[in-house]
Amino acid sequence: MARMKFLCDAERCIECNACVTACKNENEVPWGVNRRRVVTINDGSPGERSMSVACMHCSDAPCAAVCPVDCFYTTDDGVVLHDKDICIGCGYCFYACPFGAPQFPKNEAFGSRGKMDKCTFCAGGPLPDNSPEEYASYGSNRLAEGKLPLCAEMCATRSLIAGDGDVVSEIFRERVTWRGSAGFAWGWGVAYNKSGIRKGKAIEGNAVGGD
Amino acid sequence: MATQVQTANRHRRIIVWSLMLLIALMLFLPLIPYALAYVSPEAGGVPNPGTELWRAVRSGDKGTSQVQGVDTGVLINEYGEAWRHFRMEQLIPFGAMLMGSVLVLIVLFYLVSGPLRIPGGATGKKIQRFSVFERTTHWFTVSLFWLLALTGLILLYGRFVLIPVLGPEGFGLTASACKEAHNLFGPLFLVAILMMLLTFVKDNIYARGDITWLLKGGGMFGGGHVSAGRFNAGEKIWFWIAVLGGLVLSASGLVLDLAVFGQGREVMAISHVLHGIAALVVITVSFGHIYMGTAGVEGTISSMTNGYVDEAWAKSHHDRWYAEMQAAAGDDEAEQAGGGAAAGVASPVAND
Repeated sequence: MARMKFLCDAERCIECNACVTACKNENEVPWGVNRRRVVTINDGSPGERSMSVACMHCSDAPCAAVCPVDCFYTTDDGVVLHDKDICIGCGYCFYACPFGAPQFPKNEAFGSRGKMDKCTFCAGGPLPDNSPEEYASYGSNRLAEGKLPLCAEMCATRSLIAGDGDVVSEIFRERVTWRGSAGFAWGWGVAYNKSGIRKGKAIEGNAVGGD
Repeated sequence: MATQVQTANRHRRIIVWSLMLLIALMLFLPLIPYALAYVSPEAGGVPNPGTELWRAVRSGDKGTSQVQGVDTGVLINEYGEAWRHFRMEQLIPFGAMLMGSVLVLIVLFYLVSGPLRIPGGATGKKIQRFSVFERTTHWFTVSLFWLLALTGLILLYGRFVLIPVLGPEGFGLTASACKEAHNLFGPLFLVAILMMLLTFVKDNIYARGDITWLLKGGGMFGGGHVSAGRFNAGEKIWFWIAVLGGLVLSASGLVLDLAVFGQGREVMAISHVLHGIAALVVITVSFGHIYMGTAGVEGTISSMTNGYVDEAWAKSHHDRWYAEMQAAAGDDEAEQAGGGAAAGVASPVAND
């Protein structure tokens, strides 16, 4: 079975934020929620690089490990999803996540956050595929329609790639061969490279392409 | 002729050796930088910018992002894994072991030695130990403490204990209610702890005899009578654990509860660690306090229900306090000689 992965080629990302906008529009996410964001390191200095980051759908997802109500699950495609009917909005997934992927619609006194929302790899949620209820709670389910996440589809420089981890790494390997250097890529297999926790079948080890 | 042959041979040898040396140098000289790099990795020449950037990002270097919010520029949250490890692999198992083993010890102690009886039995003469205000303060704190402790423990252990019983949706509802109750009533606990501090601090300062009391284990070993004031050293230690633990819980809890001042994940994770440790310590020690106040020591519970204890109880467990109360009662009786018997209940000493 394919294991879905994102990869952001930092040699190509031009910080246009089209992925962020595409995501917000496709999934109709509430104000204040950004399932995807672009982070620029060394902004304005030599060596500046930008990377688009969202949920990396870790095979040892730390969010799932700490969730007090165990509302996370991993689909057959390796996509990490959660059930908003069970989520209590405690924020623990946000503390454990390396990427700041979990988002909350509110941030008010007395720990009032609302249900957590995060990137679904455009794969909806536990409700029936492409039902209005699923769209209202989790956004679009493009995967069920045989399409890939819109952020990656929108990417003008093809920096952000999404899909089967094997195909994604093959595309990147080809790029590296032509380019003569891996440069800096942004991909993720196992969150903390720990063996034993929800180890994926298809992808093991660390960043795809690395340095 | 012989010398000519010798000279030719020598020349040939020199040529052969020079060629071999040249080949050896050609082979080995280019390896010198590699050898140097092997000995000292820093001398290995140009660093890979990709590696450098990756390392900086992994160690928490901040960038910028168009997305507004706390910590949005942080690509990798380096505290996430430490916090996950603490909660899942330290707090949860060690907390369960701590609470479980103390509960087992208390039950064993009760089965082995039974309750501590009043020496010579109850006399029937009662003496007031806690005023209405003191008891209100105590039970106000108790109610809040157990509301918060139970909701907190459900959030910590419910995933393992309650999901199999209630199912994921059922437990989701329970956990949601627990989270709301914990977050809404939590700040009140600071009020309760401050009331406790103000009400009881004057009798919980170190006094002479406390060390002796502790060394004799409150009378368990060493033999002989252990003298104590209004509160013995054990009660004083519990008071300070409860008050200081309660203050740590309140402070860290307020940081977690009112996350509207821009505190980031690092501050939240540290607060959570403090909150978890303090909570489990205070809960565990409270088991001992509850045991001593109920089943452990005969005649104690009434001091917190109707406020009165038996004179024999007071004489046995808190002799110095009993003496003080007797002296005060003597003064009161002298003062109230003309006031009639109406002051009976308000007087610290009353006959049952």
